[in-house]
Amino acid sequence: MALLQISEPGQSTKPHEHKFAIGIDLGTTNSLVASVRSGKADTLADTNGQHILPSVVQYAADSILVGQQAKDNQVADSQNTISSIKRLMGRGISDLKLLGDNLPYAFAETESSVPRIKTAAGDKTAVEISADILKVLKQRGELTLGDKLEGAVITVPAYFDDAQRQATKDAARLAGINVLRLLNEPTAAAVAYGLDSGAEGVVAVYDLGGGTFDVSIMQLKQGVFEVLSTGGDSALGGDDFDHAIAEWIIAQAGLNANDLSAGTLRLVLQEACTAKENLSEQNQSEITIKFDESQTWFGTLTRDIFHDLIDPMIKKTLMSCRRALRDADIEKDQVMDVVMVGGSTRALRVRELVGEFFDVQPRVDIDPDRVVAIGAAIQANALAGNDPDGNLLLMDVLPLSLGIETMGGLAEKIIQRNTPIPVSRAQDFTTYKDGQTAMAVHIVQGERELIDDCRSLARFELRGFPPHVAGSARIRVTFQVDADGLLSVTAKEENSGVEASVEVKPSYGLQDSEIESMLKASMEFAGEDKDARSLREQQVEADRVLEAIDSAMADDADEMLSEDEKTLILEARGKLQIARHQAKDAQELKAEMAHLEKVSAEYVARRMNASVQKTMAGHKVEEFNND
Amino acid sequence: MPDLLFSQNYFEIFSLDVSTHPDLNKLNENNRELQRLVHPDKFANSDESEKRQAMQKTSLINQAFNTLKDPVLRLQYMLSLKGIDMNGETDTAMDGGFLMEQMELREKIADVRTQADPLEELDAITKTLKTTSKNLIAEFDQNFQDDALDKSREVVRKLQFINKAQKEVAELSEQIEDELL
Repeated sequence: MALLQISEPGQSTKPHEHKFAIGIDLGTTNSLVASVRSGKADTLADTNGQHILPSVVQYAADSILVGQQAKDNQVADSQNTISSIKRLMGRGISDLKLLGDNLPYAFAETESSVPRIKTAAGDKTAVEISADILKVLKQRGELTLGDKLEGAVITVPAYFDDAQRQATKDAARLAGINVLRLLNEPTAAAVAYGLDSGAEGVVAVYDLGGGTFDVSIMQLKQGVFEVLSTGGDSALGGDDFDHAIAEWIIAQAGLNANDLSAGTLRLVLQEACTAKENLSEQNQSEITIKFDESQTWFGTLTRDIFHDLIDPMIKKTLMSCRRALRDADIEKDQVMDVVMVGGSTRALRVRELVGEFFDVQPRVDIDPDRVVAIGAAIQANALAGNDPDGNLLLMDVLPLSLGIETMGGLAEKIIQRNTPIPVSRAQDFTTYKDGQTAMAVHIVQGERELIDDCRSLARFELRGFPPHVAGSARIRVTFQVDADGLLSVTAKEENSGVEASVEVKPSYGLQDSEIESMLKASMEFAGEDKDARSLREQQVEADRVLEAIDSAMADDADEMLSEDEKTLILEARGKLQIARHQAKDAQELKAEMAHLEKVSAEYVARRMNASVQKTMAGHKVEEFNND
Repeated sequence: MPDLLFSQNYFEIFSLDVSTHPDLNKLNENNRELQRLVHPDKFANSDESEKRQAMQKTSLINQAFNTLKDPVLRLQYMLSLKGIDMNGETDTAMDGGFLMEQMELREKIADVRTQADPLEELDAITKTLKTTSKNLIAEFDQNFQDDALDKSREVVRKLQFINKAQKEVAELSEQIEDELL
């Protein structure tokens, strides 16, 4: 049926059709979903009117709870209730220590490099847990918009590396979401802020979330959001403030974190978080914690103590700001506005130090929790094609340099950080043994010289190029980073022109086969069978066919069809319409589609001829031969 | 999607004259305009082949933009238009006076930690390097116009040297800042 959709170059077949797309902010602490409705972007609420979905998932043997309820059960069922899972996205088992010893979960012994948390519902990876959060948000989008979704824009911290981005995309795939784009959180925030304020000039977005910190320096001009540089720390956020306070409480109480149960640790963390939030309003916060029947601890956290605890972390973020400014070749006084994003910028101390650093009053008038989701929704709407004449354009950069391992364990940079994306680089390699037909390329990401100090992304095995004498083969490897910031690799032997096959072994990611089996398992869990799935697929296809025929007939049915032909097609169209809603299995629906295609085949052919003639009108045949 | 690009040189892509000092405002402006036409976001609904084209064309524009934006890469590219490829060059002869100056500068950088305010010292060195770099570009300009390509190439080599020093100074600043925490 694709042929029906022929249209003039530059013209859309269906200018007024609205496609539903959502923006998702998958946060460490909280997640949100937003969409553009009647030209206005806003976050969507659940049936209780709540916009914020706490990023907490509780697993029982036969059920999954996501959100506030799960959060409420966190202390009581700490082993099965997972929070801040974003911190583990794209991370390996060896990273767990770096993320702090106080993760209150049990990890399964596994061969894979991807950590799995033991829960009552089985061992879960960060990708699966994130997918469970995404499913709830997707469902909320579908319920609110009352239609099938074209897709979603999902935000990620700008400073996420390739493995973390890939993990996010995998989670979306597992949740059955068509990802239109991965969008950097500060860029999303700038879109919401910039379109709202009509600001033009250089803006810094300071985004301190629950578990990640980003800063982006951006040039705003006539709807174009051009990221000049980005910096940050994908393992630093408000959670760390909580941990610092919790450690302080435990030390004050004369206890040792290692002796405390997971539930108690969770309780201390919650109290720490409450105290932190209180300090945005008050000068001090009283804390009471019942460690057990015999020990209850009372204490007071003053702002001064709090500042001592968190200042080193804030200074670390300012260091990233300084670096980002340097990379952008921008002086502090050129920065017109500093936009504060992320729940952790509610801490007054953060605002104070950031304001001092940039010497401007930071913008806190936008809702720091919702702005990222709203920006994502605006871009999702544009990507879905609802704003064809719009000016909006987002130009982003690669956050961390990409390199390959060379002799002696050194990293050779192939694409520097803050290069605009998409970008591609080609590099030539040669063989070092006679008859060699395969080679491995180890890709790393990071700024350091030694491979071991960078993050290992993947090992690409190139195979199938023809054997040569050592040193005479020329294998051109092309590294392509797409607009999502994701890397792919292709290789070709230049002398023979033979394409090499590239097998990817992600260092910290899931293999495609693992995701497939997770997809299967999750479908079984949801009680969906294959038939239902294929029926749904055919329904979507039927919708497309109906749209295509309607739009074609609206255009030119009168000129191109006789009354009889028209009746025949309309009849078949009517049958398909009914089957779309009533057919019990995919075959039935398919048969109706085939029927409609058959009776409209002649019409399709005529339209195509007409379209070709129109395009060629006024041109000579020779012009077309050159293509 | 506009056809252009693959046969054009980087300057032509942005409708600029080949020059050591291209109109950077125009470069930025035209970059934005081109991206509006070819950026993958504008083809999110297209078929795979158009999507791939959009990605390839945008990659090329980004590569061109990055090259022209950077003063040293720009000069290197200008030489490559004259058939001089400076990638993987082994001959790195430079005049003695320049090398002496650079050695002294290196010593200064190495000693910076013993100074009262290392960061301020590094800022001063950065300023000196900027001036040197500016003068060298002027020198390149003259040589390139006279078609003295060997001399031009030597100037670029010097600039690469200065560039590297600038990066090292920046990295050292970052390190010292980190340690001050």
